[in-house]
Amino acid sequence: MLCDGGPTRQVFYPGKLRDITELTVRSCCQRHRRNYQSSAVVNRPEQSEQVFIERIRAKDPAAWEQLITIYEGRLLAFLEPRVEDRATAEDLVQETFTGFLRSLPHFDDSRSLEKWLFAIAANKLKDHLRRDRRVQSIEAGNEGYEFSQIPVAARARGPSTILDSRERRTKREALLVTILGEELDRLRQNDEWTRLACLELLFVGGFRNKEAAEILGISEQQVANWKHDFQSRLKRHLEAAREDGVTF
Amino acid sequence: MGSQKAEIRLEELEAFLDEALPATRMREIEEAIRQDRNLAEQLRLIIQRRDSGAVSIAEVWRRHRLSCPTRETLGAYLLDTLPTEEARFVRVHLERVGCRYCLANLADLQSRMEASQEQKEAAQRRCLRYFRSSLHHLTHSGDP
Repeated sequence: MLCDGGPTRQVFYPGKLRDITELTVRSCCQRHRRNYQSSAVVNRPEQSEQVFIERIRAKDPAAWEQLITIYEGRLLAFLEPRVEDRATAEDLVQETFTGFLRSLPHFDDSRSLEKWLFAIAANKLKDHLRRDRRVQSIEAGNEGYEFSQIPVAARARGPSTILDSRERRTKREALLVTILGEELDRLRQNDEWTRLACLELLFVGGFRNKEAAEILGISEQQVANWKHDFQSRLKRHLEAAREDGVTF
Repeated sequence: MGSQKAEIRLEELEAFLDEALPATRMREIEEAIRQDRNLAEQLRLIIQRRDSGAVSIAEVWRRHRLSCPTRETLGAYLLDTLPTEEARFVRVHLERVGCRYCLANLADLQSRMEASQEQKEAAQRRCLRYFRSSLHHLTHSGDP
């Protein structure tokens, strides 16, 4: 297949065309492969996505129908295994789409549309499960414990303290996203896939050095070296942020 | 993933709170919480820590999908056209880290690839139903 500049150049995809593009353009050329390999694609919306959102904000039914066609399959695949019932999963997909429209005035265009939709779907799912027997039985087994319950210490604090905590958390999260994103982008750009997999196993999966080494078929010493280097780099980033007046 | 049953790691509890683990693992953790008060206490402490403004690397990394392959990469993974090392990264991401978002994308890509005519028509009908029932919300979105 001839390289057409990769999927970022395309503005709107009917579902079928998008699938063909997704399944074939990936191996078209190294240059474009690198372009959309970056986490920027995941973390920041493509320009076409922003145009898409603008059309939906302008109440364009065709754009809305296209959005549904593009995203309904992955949302259904996200929800159905968890609720184990097709009709309920479809209802939750429906609620996700209407939830998206309700949230549209507050949607930050710098966010990824897919991430936003998954976040809405996860919230709808949690609401559904809260109403479901699963949470009730967990409550019964743990003397009133509930996932959604705000801990006692938090409830004892005043609203302004809680708001301060939220604001602090948002700032810390944004800083970590920037720092981690930069470090992980560097690994991707250098095609250091085993190192990336190793760090993900350690820091996201919570695997021990020995387990990560076994999974990846590398030495424990190599895992330890990569872990130490990553932690040192993060520390340096955080120290630099502090020097710039960012509290963390 | 059999060995994971024996141990629930702190990072998984974080992901559990965000509905970010595969469905089977979510159910295993739910069951474990019902039976283990210590685990429930750990979960409560995570919520409390988040509430006080703290963030963890695991939580931010997973929630912001900082190492998720793109959908195009997942498509290439399905077609087995990725270089070996990158394909192994994707496999670890899906099978060991258990990224629920990427698993959903992969399942969707696979079902679209393998869909029969009847299944394609069913998907079209579903989309039409979503569209029709949400049209009212579209035309009133942003209204005060």
